[in-house]
Amino acid sequence: MNLFFSMESGKLTRRELLQRLSALAGGLILTGPISGCEGFWQREPAIPVDSWHKGVCRFCGTGCGIMIGVRDGKVVDVKGDEYAHNRGRLCIKGILNREILYVRDRALYPMIRRNGRLERASWEEAMALVAERFREAIDRYGPDSVAFYGSGQLFTEESYTANKLFKAGIGTNNVDGNPRLCMASAAAGYISVFGKDEPMGCYEDIDHATCFFITGSNTADCHPIVWERVLDRKRSRPETVIIVVDPRRTRTARHADYHLAIRPGTDVALYNAMIYEFIRNGFIDQDMVENYLTFREGNAERTFEDLKRHVARYTPERVAPVCGVDARQIEEVAYLFAASEATMSIWTMGLNQQAQGTAANRLINAMHLLTGHIGRPGATPFSLTGQPNAGGGVRDTGALAHALPNGRVVANPQHRAEMEDLWGVPRGRISPKPGYHAVAMFEAMARGDLKCVLIMGSNPAQSLPHAERYREAMQRTFLVVADAIYPTETTQFADVFLPSAMWVEKGGVYSQSERRYHLVPKLVDPPGEARSDLEILVELADRLGYGELIKARTPEEVWDEWRQISAHSPYNFAGITYERLKKERGILWPAPTEDHPGTCRRYVPGEDPMAKGTGRFDFYGRPDGRAVVYLEHQRPPSDPRSDEYPLTLVTGRVYEHWHTLTITGKLEELKDITTDFLVVHPRDAHRYGIRDGEPVLVESRRGRAVLRARVSTEITPGVVFAPFHSPEALVNRVVNNTVDPISKEPAFKESAVRIRPASSAA
Amino acid sequence: MIRLQHMLLTGLLLGGSGLAWAAGGETPGITSAELFRIIGVVAALLGIGWLVVSHWVLRDRLPRTFYHWAMLLGLFALPALALMGAVEFVFEETKTVASCNSCHVMEPFVRDLQDPHSATLAARHYRNKWIPENQCYACHTTYGLHGSFEAKRDGLRHWLRYVTRSWDEPIQYSGSYPNINCLNCHGETDAFQRVPSHGALMADLQADRVACTSCHGPPHPTPPERTRLLSAAPVHSSREMP
Repeated sequence: MNLFFSMESGKLTRRELLQRLSALAGGLILTGPISGCEGFWQREPAIPVDSWHKGVCRFCGTGCGIMIGVRDGKVVDVKGDEYAHNRGRLCIKGILNREILYVRDRALYPMIRRNGRLERASWEEAMALVAERFREAIDRYGPDSVAFYGSGQLFTEESYTANKLFKAGIGTNNVDGNPRLCMASAAAGYISVFGKDEPMGCYEDIDHATCFFITGSNTADCHPIVWERVLDRKRSRPETVIIVVDPRRTRTARHADYHLAIRPGTDVALYNAMIYEFIRNGFIDQDMVENYLTFREGNAERTFEDLKRHVARYTPERVAPVCGVDARQIEEVAYLFAASEATMSIWTMGLNQQAQGTAANRLINAMHLLTGHIGRPGATPFSLTGQPNAGGGVRDTGALAHALPNGRVVANPQHRAEMEDLWGVPRGRISPKPGYHAVAMFEAMARGDLKCVLIMGSNPAQSLPHAERYREAMQRTFLVVADAIYPTETTQFADVFLPSAMWVEKGGVYSQSERRYHLVPKLVDPPGEARSDLEILVELADRLGYGELIKARTPEEVWDEWRQISAHSPYNFAGITYERLKKERGILWPAPTEDHPGTCRRYVPGEDPMAKGTGRFDFYGRPDGRAVVYLEHQRPPSDPRSDEYPLTLVTGRVYEHWHTLTITGKLEELKDITTDFLVVHPRDAHRYGIRDGEPVLVESRRGRAVLRARVSTEITPGVVFAPFHSPEALVNRVVNNTVDPISKEPAFKESAVRIRPASSAA
Repeated sequence: MIRLQHMLLTGLLLGGSGLAWAAGGETPGITSAELFRIIGVVAALLGIGWLVVSHWVLRDRLPRTFYHWAMLLGLFALPALALMGAVEFVFEETKTVASCNSCHVMEPFVRDLQDPHSATLAARHYRNKWIPENQCYACHTTYGLHGSFEAKRDGLRHWLRYVTRSWDEPIQYSGSYPNINCLNCHGETDAFQRVPSHGALMADLQADRVACTSCHGPPHPTPPERTRLLSAAPVHSSREMP
């Protein structure tokens, strides 16, 4: 109170009062920002953060840049990175990155199965046992008795190291992983057409396209931030056409100008009909045909005239009843595709996960090549990847059974020799025999041919088709499972469990759909005794006696080795250093030098540093510099419908959840978002006595699952849909395990089933 | 005497309404800012006239009581009204897009807002007339007295920063955006409520721990886009826009 009264008299003149009140007011204003009154003077964040760090989302292949807020050694907040391609946007999974490290069931310590139960062990015990069993198997049954099953969610450094350890160290090509289940057909399509894998376009093309042909992709739910960019294009230019081909009226399809509710597995017929229409209406780019294309049917040479005769059998009228769509609609859509200024196709699992996945991919690429909708801003055939690092980590490093790094293949002796030289191992170390692809790997486990398998960052006991068969197979094998979450469906079958770090508990490079390599920084410590997958692989290499081979031991060392190896290939990203990755929002390869800004459009001279000449294109992946248009026939269904199994089951995702729910299933926010449902058309519901909300039994030639019926017209009659997320429902027991003959990707989207109320099955 | 007073009061009324009519001019519907400006100007002019007439011209001819009341009116009441008009005018005028745009740093935001091809949230709300007027203020002021206070406080801080040139580019939104500004219009709609994610995140949305713009943004051009916009053609005042 002394402030307001003079000390001597205890009284205050009016002048003094005014002076002091003024001083007080001035003081409040001036000191507010520096004396803890910030909240009064300025808006404060709802979540206090000590420091923000640039990173990348843990989830899908969109690969959004995020800013990660850390406080007291914990991730407390995330927000979209305004400087990244996603312009600050995130979906719900992106936002929930801030919670995923702290979900329940984080794996804390190694475990060894004793007397049928997994019991806590030390890292020393666990790794000694793993090394002993692997060594024993290799010595007794040969290198091909062991295998690695990886994931598109490991960092590039981890997949690269595993691939090198198994192929150049142990000497087996039994390296595969979950990307085989989602991307293999897209990869096989690109490789057979362009000679090299990965899309030639980029996200920026979305801003220039005037027609989007979205087929087999529920972009709105599964790549939400890519979808927002598509919508932005529509918002900026409302006359932009969106065509969606999907048996379901998904959220994507609801925004479309044209929705073709195609019958699953009939894509090849539809695209052939569209090519027929392109030819009939004079939309063929003659310059492309004469100078940049060759034609093939299987391995046989063909000509454009052969293609004309081939597609003459696929008129819209003939194709319409096969695909279950209107012939007139096919004509319109073909016209819009070809006549637009720039058409961009977008696709993913819907196209890839069928028995003719590679053929469908080849035809999509052919549609663009034949009409010249390629290599210009907005004109590109663009496949989306599902996982955050299936492209860079697995496809580019060649961590697949048939592949070697940077687009090389095991079957090619020259490719093997190149890699043996680059890895500094003796000629002949890499086995000439391609390894087991994903489904074959689990078949080999069922036969007992595989003795030891290391599974990292994946949950095949739930994600494989015909799951029950392979769950039994896993039981017969010495299974080592490394995961950040315990338990999962797969850990039930583990003989050794290793706890691994997740996301920013370790550092490394991710990629995404547009060939962008970007960095996830290590920001916090992993819980308990968890270690990064790279540390686990390096230790395994040491214990198996391949320490000399695996010289690079930190993410940065591995990356440096890897980018220098890439310089000996058209993937050349030697210019993408860790220094740049720390500063920049990722870089699109090729980027051969440190001052190269990255490449938006491949194969275009002037844009792509690898492309030579001054022509429109240099398809340098092909020996003759020409891309290949394949003549493909529609084959009968791989799992035919019959009176016994009259419906087709397709599987997919919901917006909020991720894969097998190991992470998102534990988020409190998402506990009410159910995933154990089956969408049935009212006509089919009526026919089979299904009531909305009641349990329904789905049966196929392979197995059965009980789901909750969701009766809705959002699906085509004759088709039912279920998300594959729920471990309890485990719909993959029912799903078709036929694989595409070329890509070996399973036909998840083509399973003949029957349905009936679960109550009647009791 | 009585007639003199009547004449003075009549003059006051006529002058007031006459000035108001003149200030109103041909504009049939006037904005509240203009109305307050008119009130302020009229009160000030009347006050001066009233003082001159009643103090210097008619002082001796007016009864003492009437003179005292006249002084009260001329020295205090009309100036108070003029002050109120001025304050309200500034209060209302600073709600306009043009007012926000008067600071150079806001140009890229306003240019984007008025770009008929922009896909930002702000531009879509603007061109579709989802918010018919004072578009900046509408989204940047929380409902109620507290909201107005915050907005004016922010405005004062921004102005101080601007005139003292003490801001850092790129400018950033400080704190967490109050989602209630979005939810006031969208929260009760069917389109909002049928989205499962909104239900899942409701507690976070209400506490501003997740911004609506996280998924539905960007509300404005991002910093790199703003740099590009700054080098584009000069921006128009909002009043010139259709």
